[in-house]
Amino acid sequence: MLKTSKILLAAAVVLAASTGLSFAQQKPRVAFVPQIVGIPYFDAMKKGGDEAAKTLGVDFIYQGPVDTNPVDQLQIVQNLINQGVEAISVSVLDASSLAPVVEAAKAKNIKLFTSDSDAPKSGRALYVAQASDQGLGYTIIDEMVKRTGPDAKIGIVSGEATASNLNAWIGFMRERVKEKYPKVTLLDPQYAGGSAERAAQIAGDLMTSNPDLKGIIAVASTTCPGVGQAIETAGKVGQVVGTGYCSPNTARAYLKSGAFGYSVLWDPAELGYLTVWAGQQLIEGKEIPAKTTPEGMSHPVTFDKKTGVLLLGDPAVFTADNVDKFNF
Amino acid sequence: MMRSLLRAIGERELLLAAALVAAVAVFSVLSPYFMTASNLVTVLRNCNELFLIGLGMTLVLGIGGVDVSVGVVMGLAAIAVGRLLQADAGALAAGLAGPLAGGLIGLLTASVVVLGRIPAIVATLGLFGVYRAAVFLALGGAWLSGLPTDLTQVLGASVFGLPAALPVVVLAYLLVFVAIRYTPFGLYVLAAGNSEAKARLSGIAVRKVQFAAYVVSGLCCGLAATFYIATYRNVAMTVGGTLALEAIAAVIIGGTSILGGRMSLLGTAFGVLLLRILQNGLLLVGVPSLWQPVVTGLLLLAVLGTEAATGRLNLAAASRHLRLPSRSGAAA
Repeated sequence: MLKTSKILLAAAVVLAASTGLSFAQQKPRVAFVPQIVGIPYFDAMKKGGDEAAKTLGVDFIYQGPVDTNPVDQLQIVQNLINQGVEAISVSVLDASSLAPVVEAAKAKNIKLFTSDSDAPKSGRALYVAQASDQGLGYTIIDEMVKRTGPDAKIGIVSGEATASNLNAWIGFMRERVKEKYPKVTLLDPQYAGGSAERAAQIAGDLMTSNPDLKGIIAVASTTCPGVGQAIETAGKVGQVVGTGYCSPNTARAYLKSGAFGYSVLWDPAELGYLTVWAGQQLIEGKEIPAKTTPEGMSHPVTFDKKTGVLLLGDPAVFTADNVDKFNF
Repeated sequence: MMRSLLRAIGERELLLAAALVAAVAVFSVLSPYFMTASNLVTVLRNCNELFLIGLGMTLVLGIGGVDVSVGVVMGLAAIAVGRLLQADAGALAAGLAGPLAGGLIGLLTASVVVLGRIPAIVATLGLFGVYRAAVFLALGGAWLSGLPTDLTQVLGASVFGLPAALPVVVLAYLLVFVAIRYTPFGLYVLAAGNSEAKARLSGIAVRKVQFAAYVVSGLCCGLAATFYIATYRNVAMTVGGTLALEAIAAVIIGGTSILGGRMSLLGTAFGVLLLRILQNGLLLVGVPSLWQPVVTGLLLLAVLGTEAATGRLNLAAASRHLRLPSRSGAAA
């Protein structure tokens, strides 16, 4: 009896493994796990990923947490590993906890890489970067100083304190200020979590406690509407320059009301496309050249083999004048 | 009325009033910007949604229930309000859409919790997920942002320096206060919260009372949604995520028992004020916002710890606090 069930079990395992294998041989699967689903930014990445899947002939899986919760995110990644998805990319919420998952993926010969937000010390295969963290941090400060002048006090409203991409950008903002604008005061970042109303309250409180504040930077996309709204509510349009890493659709109303002077980002659809392309290269075991134009893209991307960073390009600056050309 | 009002002010309310005065005093000394008219008005405005959601939550906890989905219910109602504003329906229609949508969702919550006989914490956790998905579907990945200002012009205005929304909040509290002080409803709520079985044996229609509490809570969330849109003019995917826990915290700090059978409306209002003043004041004096949830959490633990230590967090003890009005014999 025991023997029969053992044989049955073994047969089931072989069957399961072989069907998994035959799946894999049909079409390689590339998954992307965003930080949160249902926000315009990651939706645009999904669109780009879908397009790449069509052009490049792979299956694209898009699954993520409904809240910016690192534990939920890791569970989703773990599930994808258990399903044997060949390449999995993650926009990392908590860089410190990715390493064990990378190990688990390697054990199953699954390519795990990061996209949009990195975990450099996790052993990930590579990192698909939207624009360099440095470029983003520097650009938002440069554009801000253009509008406020070099003698300005600037506040920062971020999202989760563990989000590594947000923290990296803040780090480069500080570096830029220290090196180039010695008279600019950058206040310590305040964290609003994923909540727009909390961001509005924090931005309001920052303006109250710093009457000489000249700019507020919304670092997480979820904090953008809150910061824009707070500047309008406080009647400080024109006195305080709002900005952030906000999608054109989210920032549009505030760019037009003047609460936001500009917004800095990149095209997430392109990032989603590049993510799927990178996943395909990894699955096929291809070397990525230092500079190349992936099939279906209009401009070249760069790859730094030493750091494993695949870079999309320079950040884009959206203003009231050009914002209507974009829809994401 | 005056005597009843005084009777309604118990030791917890006095303690909270003292804590509020102390917090205000400390922040006024530490930050020159705290005790300014514009900051105090801002704090009051930030309280609006929590005042209303806390009001409903007081009744829900009073009957011995709980509802962790209230923030998302507000979010759903806010989407209804926002969409009507986008469709140029005007301030009145959009404003009324909030309580209407909230009341309807409240009916649904009440049906699931009360008629489904599912423990409230489990049922509302499930509903939280369902409502969250509904928010996701209703927004379709595109947030509402920079909505028309119709509502803002009405509710965001100030009357004698105070937010115009304040009278509405006060009126809502007075309505509920009258209902629980001067009609048998209050007694029913407390009786049901104390012991469902005993209340039923006394001839109280416990189900109806529970049902009413969840529907009123839904209405409150809907009204909060109208104020939310008037203030923030946007709805993001994560809307209201923190509100349920904040509301439960404020209500418990206010002296309403987590086990039901004891509630205080004034305490809830004080609890909301204390939470928001702490959040505002801590930021003004330069404490990183990361520490704010810690302070709230510690405050809550201190309150529950004291209750446990003094034996107030005990059903038998709580029942002794239940004051039966003279007409209780006719209550059934």
